[in-house]
Amino acid sequence: MALNEALHGKTYPAVPFVVEAERVRAFAGAVAHAGAGVPPTFATVPEIAAGLANVIGDPELGLDLSAVLHGEQEYEWVRPLRVGEAVEAEATIESIRGRGSMRFLTLRTFLRDEAGLTVVVARSTLIVREDG
Amino acid sequence: MSARLEDLAVGDEVFEVSRVVTREDVKAYADASGDQNPLHLDDEVARAAGFPGIVAHGMYTMGTLASAIVSWAGGVGSLVRMKAQFRAPVFMGDTIVCGGSVRSLDAQARTAVLDVWVRVEREGVVGWPIRRSEAEVRLA
Repeated sequence: MALNEALHGKTYPAVPFVVEAERVRAFAGAVAHAGAGVPPTFATVPEIAAGLANVIGDPELGLDLSAVLHGEQEYEWVRPLRVGEAVEAEATIESIRGRGSMRFLTLRTFLRDEAGLTVVVARSTLIVREDG
Repeated sequence: MSARLEDLAVGDEVFEVSRVVTREDVKAYADASGDQNPLHLDDEVARAAGFPGIVAHGMYTMGTLASAIVSWAGGVGSLVRMKAQFRAPVFMGDTIVCGGSVRSLDAQARTAVLDVWVRVEREGVVGWPIRRSEAEVRLA
């Protein structure tokens, strides 16, 4: 299965997500976060939720999850996420690069709060191995 | 506790935090993050992909590094920007060592750019799951 390069620039519908206290506690334990507040990389949770909801499952894109490695990750935090708040995660295919058996899919995801203000911008590059 | 810009100089190593990677923690990370890729959960799938066993999520390692950064810098609001490349796998039983040094300081903005890394040592051989990555922090 080959990635469809024509989808460069495609923006998917925003996915709603609530920052639940129990999920934050579990995540904090898993990343050895000792202090107060939502761990910064908790942003990956709504990012993954949006990715799984529509990018991974996009039949037009042709992404085979079993052939994917996480190559690179970047975050810009405008402010920390807050426990209990509702955000939405909007993913865009920023680029599809590479030739032959190794392709790079870069997704940019905006997390916005209820006022529509950007809280976090995430950029994730997936390495996709393709046969042949 | 928070780091003060006046106490820092370019080149200073500012934190070093070690953590032993366990199957239980990686499973907890998979559940909390929603990333249930079997490469992180199923030894057979990981072996079929050419690894000796399951591999920790890159984001488990980056998240642990971010915890070390904010614990040093002064809380979750101190982290402005962070970028990491996942260069080498982390296996169960590894001890990862998260570290950072000062790359540049901006006295007016009261920010620092750090060079951050995650190192692992196996039978005397050093590996770098994350190396020459960058984090920008706001300081007191």
